[in-house]
Amino acid sequence: MKILTTVKKVVDVELTIHVKDGAIVEDGLQYVINAWDENAVETAVQLKENSGAETTLVSIGGGDNTDMIRRCYAMGIENGIHIEDPALAAADSFVYAKVLQKVYEKGDYDLVITGKQAQDTDNGQTGIILAEYLGLPCVSNVIAIEVLDDQHIKVSRSGDAGTEIVELELPAVVTVDVSINEPRLPAMRGIMMAKKKKIDVMDLAALGTSPDEVGCATPKSEIAEFLKSDTRQGGQKFEGNAAEITAQVVDLLANEAKVF
Amino acid sequence: MAKVLVIAEIKQGVIKSSTTELLSKAKAIGAETAVVAIGSNIESLIPGLVSAGSDTQYVADDPGLELFSAGPYASCVVDAAKQFGANLIWFGFSESGKAVAPRVAAQLDAACATEITDVTLHGDQIEVTRPAITNKVMQRVKVNIEELVAVVRAGAFEATEGITGTENVIKLSPPAPDLKAVIKELVSDASGDIDLADADIVISVGRGAKDQAGIDLVKELANDLKAGFGSSRAMVDGGFMPHGKQVGQTGKIVAPNLYMAFGISGAIQHLAGMNGSKVILAVNKDPEAPIFNVADYGIVGDLFEVVPILREEIKKIRT
Repeated sequence: MKILTTVKKVVDVELTIHVKDGAIVEDGLQYVINAWDENAVETAVQLKENSGAETTLVSIGGGDNTDMIRRCYAMGIENGIHIEDPALAAADSFVYAKVLQKVYEKGDYDLVITGKQAQDTDNGQTGIILAEYLGLPCVSNVIAIEVLDDQHIKVSRSGDAGTEIVELELPAVVTVDVSINEPRLPAMRGIMMAKKKKIDVMDLAALGTSPDEVGCATPKSEIAEFLKSDTRQGGQKFEGNAAEITAQVVDLLANEAKVF
Repeated sequence: MAKVLVIAEIKQGVIKSSTTELLSKAKAIGAETAVVAIGSNIESLIPGLVSAGSDTQYVADDPGLELFSAGPYASCVVDAAKQFGANLIWFGFSESGKAVAPRVAAQLDAACATEITDVTLHGDQIEVTRPAITNKVMQRVKVNIEELVAVVRAGAFEATEGITGTENVIKLSPPAPDLKAVIKELVSDASGDIDLADADIVISVGRGAKDQAGIDLVKELANDLKAGFGSSRAMVDGGFMPHGKQVGQTGKIVAPNLYMAFGISGAIQHLAGMNGSKVILAVNKDPEAPIFNVADYGIVGDLFEVVPILREEIKKIRT
């Protein structure tokens, strides 16, 4: 089985993010692997270990992704492709999906694993749109994967009414939730070994396509501006005798907030 | 004139409030409205779809649609959207909506926006507002084409009082099943539990509850109030709560009338999943806990001491 997994370099959400004049202030930002993609990598590596799969990752944009890709190598990924092209600066989900389609078509893969969303956009669209473009079956928000045979996998998806158990015919696309696994910490030896491994960096032309073909010039939507989040203000905080302050808060909930 | 197609959210034979909320917003922006309802044995829901505010009802009613499957559901939405000539297609904030919306957008070659909190029309120009970067910023997104598929964030739109529609039912032919992604089984969440997404009050526990005894103590309050019962990621990772009960950006995003957080410090991912709640109460031993920065009412104290008093005081007020 050949697995393609996607990883995106995204802003670290643990740090404070400032907005000025409709844009995000770059100063002080740090970048990390998207949390959901780390689970996708772990899923691919587990399938390699348990079912003998061959694993390839692809990353689009992000500038210098060497550290991130090496970390994924150290986790157990075997091959890495990085698509970097100035035309992709404002790429939306549809453009990413088109680029991934090109990568997929070059590689004869059986299974594509993506994180269910990226923590910078929180869109949750790319993997699903990719499956539509490829005409492949797709299950999103996957929390468990089991290989049935060369042609089939069984996945669990967290749905509205419970856990949906779906049998998928390969090739297929799945997008995974963080609850699918606990990504491993790469061992020091793996990190050392990873430094020797090659990363296949290419632009759109080298991928056999062009900015126009993947839709860079005709985005369906674009971010007009960033705004500050309408953050809530903390209200009244009570300290002291538990019985007294609790009674006081219940009174406020009933008579001021009117929630009871 | 804008034409809005709303995907009805149906759960266990009941039309959920998001359907009315989305149709209310559609009417408020002066759009023509239609709804598409997908399921098995849903004929009886038609009057409810009309009173939810729709002027046309597309109904895909087939035994093959009893269990959710993204492919066939997307086919129904695309069919209805084409018949209606919809330029705005809105899903409520559900796992099925998030799975189907990108498919519909790809098939219709429309734009796609998830988690939107507002939509405005300037002539043909569509604009949406949505949170991004784990709720840390908002984006104003300009749509460059005339068709947009959107998933609306929980609690973003309010239902208009007294809204109603007109009956004009159009039956859709059943879609082909997805033979390459076959739904085998639905393992229901713990039966009898109140759905976090629907609950008027949501109560969550965090690390401060320590163990099962702490969880059970807070759960009694949830039972008293018929509240949805969730938790922070820490309690899921610790194996105390099922992942389906995790409130946060990586779990369920909720926007109830009242959210009560017990022993939850307030990690950014958790806050992103509940800060749309109307009123927030937080109970935590640590006066510096970040949860107090978003709570309307905060009690600095030990939940093991506070919860029993809270139950008594609430009982008093409700009798």
